[in-house]
Amino acid sequence: MYLDEFEYYAPKTADETFELAGRLGSQAKVLAGGTDLILNMKQSLLKPQCLIDINGVKEFQGLIYEAGKGAVIGAATKISELEHSAVLRDKYFALHQAARELGSTQVRAMATIGGNICNASPAAETSSPLVALGTKVVINSAAGERELPLEDFIIGNRKTALEQGELLVKFLLPEPAPQTASCYTNIGLRNAMEIDAVNMAVNLTLEADNRTVKVLRLVMGSVAPRPLVSVEVPALLVGQALNSNLIEKAAAAAAGEAQPISDIRATAEYRREAVFVLSRRVLQEAFNAAQEV
Amino acid sequence: MKQQLIQLEINNQLYEIPVTPRDLLVDVIRKKVGITGTKKGCGEGDCGACTVLMDGAPVLSCLTLAITCQGRKIITIEGLADEQGALHPIQQSFLDHGAVQCGFCTPGMILTTKALLDKNPHPDQTSIKRGIAGNICRCTGYKKIVEAIGAAADRIATREVK
Ligand SMILES: Cc1cc2nc3c(=O)[nH]c(=O)nc-3n(C[C@H](O)[C@H](O)[C@H](O)COP(=O)(O)OP(=O)(O)OC[C@H]3O[C@@H](n4cnc5c(N)ncnc54)[C@H](O)[C@@H]3O)c2cc1C
Repeated sequence: MYLDEFEYYAPKTADETFELAGRLGSQAKVLAGGTDLILNMKQSLLKPQCLIDINGVKEFQGLIYEAGKGAVIGAATKISELEHSAVLRDKYFALHQAARELGSTQVRAMATIGGNICNASPAAETSSPLVALGTKVVINSAAGERELPLEDFIIGNRKTALEQGELLVKFLLPEPAPQTASCYTNIGLRNAMEIDAVNMAVNLTLEADNRTVKVLRLVMGSVAPRPLVSVEVPALLVGQALNSNLIEKAAAAAAGEAQPISDIRATAEYRREAVFVLSRRVLQEAFNAAQEV
Repeated sequence: MKQQLIQLEINNQLYEIPVTPRDLLVDVIRKKVGITGTKKGCGEGDCGACTVLMDGAPVLSCLTLAITCQGRKIITIEGLADEQGALHPIQQSFLDHGAVQCGFCTPGMILTTKALLDKNPHPDQTSIKRGIAGNICRCTGYKKIVEAIGAAADRIATREVK
């Protein structure tokens, strides 16, 4: 497997990157970790004439957390950095869990969070937790900057809201409200190095009584062309004192909302059943964890 | 396309190598530098045979463009023994435990182990298995590999060698 010829650019600053992206337009692809892009090029699914390597641009890298404000994650931050971040584990547990589940040690050392989102696979590991956590993305081009909620950025199977010349530069995660917990779970054909058949993340805030659901977001992955934000689960649970009966009902509602297809990884029927089991599990786990914050 | 000269630091030695942007690191190491311990397996990132260490982190050289590696420190399996040729404790442990069968996965397996033990000097079984989940052994000799890694961790801890 060899690659077609292309020209290689390695900008050092954000401005230089936007200028290149604007000038090269549709001929160019951004190269982050390359774990999707190089593979696609090897398989001749993509044949860009130019690659813009963003790994030398410091502004696109790293995780900064400021108490009371939240976290900012650069698009070119490696999954391995997220996996080992103590702040992420403490404040945004669902994303920490998803980072641990992505690929192998090697893949996590190469892959970036921006690449995972821009690739926009319905089975992507980080999109469900990021959407559940209320993440916004910052998009930039030579013309300027705009912000979008992540659920509006991923618009379909491998489709994003990026226009020509635009890059995803960072993720903005809001500070978790008091008594909030998040968690993530996934299921696939094996325990490691698998593409998810279903994944799911929940972000749950309790009222001061420690039982009543104040805010809840449940997001399903790999059961629709894009991350599926449940409408029915919050409708059933917000304002209610949570118990296993209600959780069972909510899980059934989530299974009803899923729009799974059958493919090589699982049948639609199996996926729907998995949504039921996984939502029951994440809701219970998030409830337990939120009671202990 | 025109070749350009790049500098790569492999096993603490600087090489000046003519490449085109599309040259993959695994091919440059094997064919242009001429050291062949790094193996080419699936070519898709699944098998881990092509693993090398890049600034200490295990990466897949089959999905890495050589041109992106300038200024980075690359270690291949040839760079693990010391100057006198004494094997690294991980290599020795693999030999002692019969963790090498056909040997094709061994270079990648050992480099991934090196990165694992650098981060986590006392991994439990689960951490070992998670750590090498991206290295496939077609002989399926995982039991001995996992044992060899555990023993290597102990050996490094007692001898305090890296
Ligand atoms: C063996 C293997 C196992 C894997 N396992 C998993 C898994 O378990 N879960 C999972 O979710 N994924 C998995 N993947 C897929 C892949 O590793 C991830 O999607 C990864 O996060 C992609 O990031 P990257 O930095 O490598 O992206 P790249 O390949 O560099 O880029 C991906 C796409 O996004 C574009 N892009 C990247 N960054 C930007 C940016 N900042 N702005 C605009 N466009 C951008 C690129 O142009 C390209 O089209 C696996 C891949 C391999 C090879």
